[in-house]
Amino acid sequence: MGRLVLRRLLATIPVLVLVTAGVFALIHLTPGDPIDVMMAESADATVKANLRRELGLDQPIYLQYGAWMWRLLHGDLGRSIRNGEPVIENVGRRIRPSLQLAALAMAISLVLATPLGILSAARRNTSVDRFGTTFALFGICMPNFLLALLLIFFFGVKLRWLPISGYTDPLEEGLAGFRSLVLPALTLGLALAAVVTRTLRSSMMDALAEDYVRTARAKGLTEWSVIRGHVLKNALIPVVTVLGLQLGTLIGGAVITEYVFALPGVGRLVVDAVFARDYPLVQGVVLLIAVGFILSNLAVDLLYGWIDPRIRYR
Amino acid sequence: MAGSIRESGIADRAPALSRPPAARRARGRPWAVLRQAARTRLGPLGVVVMLSALTVAFLAPVISPYDPLKQDLGNTLARPGRAHLMGTDNVGRDVLSRMIWGTRVSLLAGFGSVALAMAAGGLLGLLAGYAGGRTDGLVMRLMDAVLSFPPLVLALALGAVLGAGLTGVVIALGVVYTPTFARLMRGQVLTIAAREYVEAARALGAPGWRIARQHVLPNAAAPIVIQASLSVAFAILAEASLSFLGLGVQPPAASWGSMINAGRGYLQQAPWIVFGPGAALFVTVVGLNFVGDAVRDALDPRLRR
Repeated sequence: MGRLVLRRLLATIPVLVLVTAGVFALIHLTPGDPIDVMMAESADATVKANLRRELGLDQPIYLQYGAWMWRLLHGDLGRSIRNGEPVIENVGRRIRPSLQLAALAMAISLVLATPLGILSAARRNTSVDRFGTTFALFGICMPNFLLALLLIFFFGVKLRWLPISGYTDPLEEGLAGFRSLVLPALTLGLALAAVVTRTLRSSMMDALAEDYVRTARAKGLTEWSVIRGHVLKNALIPVVTVLGLQLGTLIGGAVITEYVFALPGVGRLVVDAVFARDYPLVQGVVLLIAVGFILSNLAVDLLYGWIDPRIRYR
Repeated sequence: MAGSIRESGIADRAPALSRPPAARRARGRPWAVLRQAARTRLGPLGVVVMLSALTVAFLAPVISPYDPLKQDLGNTLARPGRAHLMGTDNVGRDVLSRMIWGTRVSLLAGFGSVALAMAAGGLLGLLAGYAGGRTDGLVMRLMDAVLSFPPLVLALALGAVLGAGLTGVVIALGVVYTPTFARLMRGQVLTIAAREYVEAARALGAPGWRIARQHVLPNAAAPIVIQASLSVAFAILAEASLSFLGLGVQPPAASWGSMINAGRGYLQQAPWIVFGPGAALFVTVVGLNFVGDAVRDALDPRLRR
């Protein structure tokens, strides 16, 4: 297992270097002068020159990249040009709602998808299976923002059961906080549940066709004992992979969901930074998200090796 | 799922495709593939949806009942009725006409970005697979780096620097989808380049570019076509998401995503502003998914589930 960790860590390094180069290049992809894009045209020339100097845009590009990487390695992701605060502080203030949203969405998706995926595969071509596959198709084709607006319309506007926007911290306000996260988490969770349901159904069906399942049935085990004891663990391996692959989806979905429900999370911060043309903040947050995404995928890879010992020796 | 804009099917199953697929049999017989696709359960329904969307997009100037930009401040938030089948929006514009014109934007963005990704990814994958060595390593690490960004975040960041508008969105989504095609093409090239007929061509002295054009590309085309047909639906969802956030075509021009965003403030008084284009988007994406699945089943029945 140690060798697997080391191998995967080493493989991550060149990707991280390229990711930093990509994020650095973002500001230079701007058509025209990025300073003109970031600041109003009417802004004073001295102010523009100061910002240009501050961002190092008056230097040759290789020096800019070197200086940027040097600061990065010292934990300095730059400062927002709007509020002047370091990127890390901006993100630190917004991370909690995002993590709470992601955790609740993940929980909702697993609670829904696990029984639905298992039942769909075990009762193939029955009404349960048809419901499961329709649900999966619906969730995969439904845009997050449309699902969010449907939930707002029914549970917020028509039934008035749940708040339609805003955020209260569940760790401080308890139930009120939880209620503020229900609709956003449902939006994200239903979409994720659709993908997990489809994958679990498919991998369960593969596992159910294996010889060891036939043997287990021939021994006289009940169908549920076979599923619990022999099928489920083998069927979970692709599900873990898909959950890992879906982390990007979760982050992307969180951007939209936080925007629709006015949640002050990191996703909302990205959107705000994009529209404020606050490029240092966009660079910093996008880099943090990408690094977080790479590390999460690394964790999933390692988890995969832990679940399936054969992976460790490849 | 809006966030899942890169989640589109077969790239993660590429090893399965690197075996000689049934696609070989279908190669060069597009009508046979279409016939097979039409025989699947949901394929015909998907084709009907896709053709309807294409027809609406082409005929938008003819079939649109009103000018999609014309405001009628005396008739704002009008309910769906005879005069306006899908009602009017907050400035009195006809929702149906805007939906019809929005179809153009969605299809242009969907097909345009996938075509761009197919061309760029196909070339990069061909280069990586064919050149091997350091070139392969560099190209594939570059693709890994692009894949390291959550797709929507990458599209958003690229959209931010390229500027709002359809061109920026198409390029941004093209970049997001490129690695999928590059990986797929590289896998195909590696498999095909090791085949006897390629070795024979090489032994006969055929130059590399001719081998690539005559032997590798035609044989690698089937999985690329499958991936493309699956990706278009997700590209349309992605364009709608970016337009919803304000990075797509700019007002007053109509796109489904921007219409939904503009209408969300009137959800209580005029839900048709949101749910009209929402339904169009959903039905189109479902239809294109059916088409993608049918093409996949026709070209490679082993991937059928």
